[in-house]
Amino acid sequence: MKSFCFTFLIIFCWKAKAQPNCNAYLYQGDTLKYEACLVSEKRAGYYQFTREYQEALDRALAIDSTFAYAYKVKSTAYLKSGDFITWKALIDKAVKYDPEGELFYRGWCRYQFFRDYEGAIADIELLDSLVDHDIGFGQNGDYHLEMTRALCYKAIGQPEKAISIIEKKLSDSTYFASPYDYLHLGVLYLEKGACGKAIEAFKRQEAENDLAENRYYIALAYREKDQLNLSRANLEMAKNLYLDRSRMFEPYTEHMDKVYLKEIEEEIAKSINLDE
Amino acid sequence: MITETAQSPPVIFVNAFLLLLLTAILVNCSSEKKKSSYLRHVGDIETDSKLDDPAFKLCNDEIFLKQYFNFSQGLQYEGEMLKIKEQFELAYVPIEINESGWVRIRFVVNCRGESGRFRMISSDEHYESRDFDARITDQLVGITKSLDGWKPRPDSENTAEYYQYLVFKIENGDLIEILP
Repeated sequence: MKSFCFTFLIIFCWKAKAQPNCNAYLYQGDTLKYEACLVSEKRAGYYQFTREYQEALDRALAIDSTFAYAYKVKSTAYLKSGDFITWKALIDKAVKYDPEGELFYRGWCRYQFFRDYEGAIADIELLDSLVDHDIGFGQNGDYHLEMTRALCYKAIGQPEKAISIIEKKLSDSTYFASPYDYLHLGVLYLEKGACGKAIEAFKRQEAENDLAENRYYIALAYREKDQLNLSRANLEMAKNLYLDRSRMFEPYTEHMDKVYLKEIEEEIAKSINLDE
Repeated sequence: MITETAQSPPVIFVNAFLLLLLTAILVNCSSEKKKSSYLRHVGDIETDSKLDDPAFKLCNDEIFLKQYFNFSQGLQYEGEMLKIKEQFELAYVPIEINESGWVRIRFVVNCRGESGRFRMISSDEHYESRDFDARITDQLVGITKSLDGWKPRPDSENTAEYYQYLVFKIENGDLIEILP
């Protein structure tokens, strides 16, 4: 019993963390993967772009060519350097040897780095079909994969499906909204002309995480409803928030529905013209 | 009188020295055979006099070159990504052709905000390497080279220079997305 609990604890910790616990492979009787895992740990202390980091993973894969985790961490530098060809070849191997563990990463990256909407949808839906637990979040933690799937459907011209997915997710009492969920929902409503529902969503976003973007879009919704004073006030607030760096941000890529300073200033100029 | 025994030690030392020298040479040859296939960093671009503008120079040593995201401030361009997109929208002329996929152009931004060492890769929609019609890629390279709003990044010791890239999503010859 003691041994079972210890084994369970090791495997649980391993699954809970991105970095595998090599001992878990040993307890599963996979000594080859255990050895490969130990060798892969030799990259510790090296930046993921470095020769030493990559070579340590190559040595690990030479021991066990089915070690999915090594393919994934090896792929990351290629992803971040924009080398989609090498990245995809590596991450495909990771998915081949551990689809349940690595599909989330491939699906998320296809969306985030390459706007490969169809590919991301296929990966997320395949993952959902393989597991009976929550499919979880994308790599940067800003989006649940259901939200990611919704944004992909929006991008390929299916906004109603996107709205349906987001509404369902946000109505789940066990789900806590992520930093941009209500913003994206509001933009979807706004784009289909449902200004009332859009304003409601932007106010929820304001309560959860007030950003230049939700102020900008709520200003557009108020303008549609001829509430010009509210529109103008929110545009000014959008500019202040933007300059205060309270805006959508991601160090590697740009978020969908992100707004730029120039766009806010142009809308302020338009609102001044409407006032005159 | 110098005996034979007395002469032996120097011969042994010479032989030992030669043996060590031979070993060192063999070890050296062996390590050259095992020379790494990797450069310093994934994505590093070595200068190539046939490809690169000789006027483009780094201000600091190569080893200080970073990646654009190392500063955790996102893409650094005057007018932000919006400006880059506007410049491509103005200049890129869609080509009517059944070619889709991605093109990446990677380059270096130096301490003066100049860009150089442009390199391109491209793939189809399945991430398999492919070449695009030159009417597409020549435009992408030309417009990328014309971008003049790159900001050099301040660093604690050096004015940091960095690798930047742009990825272009192409659909039937049209430019539909610019990343990162």
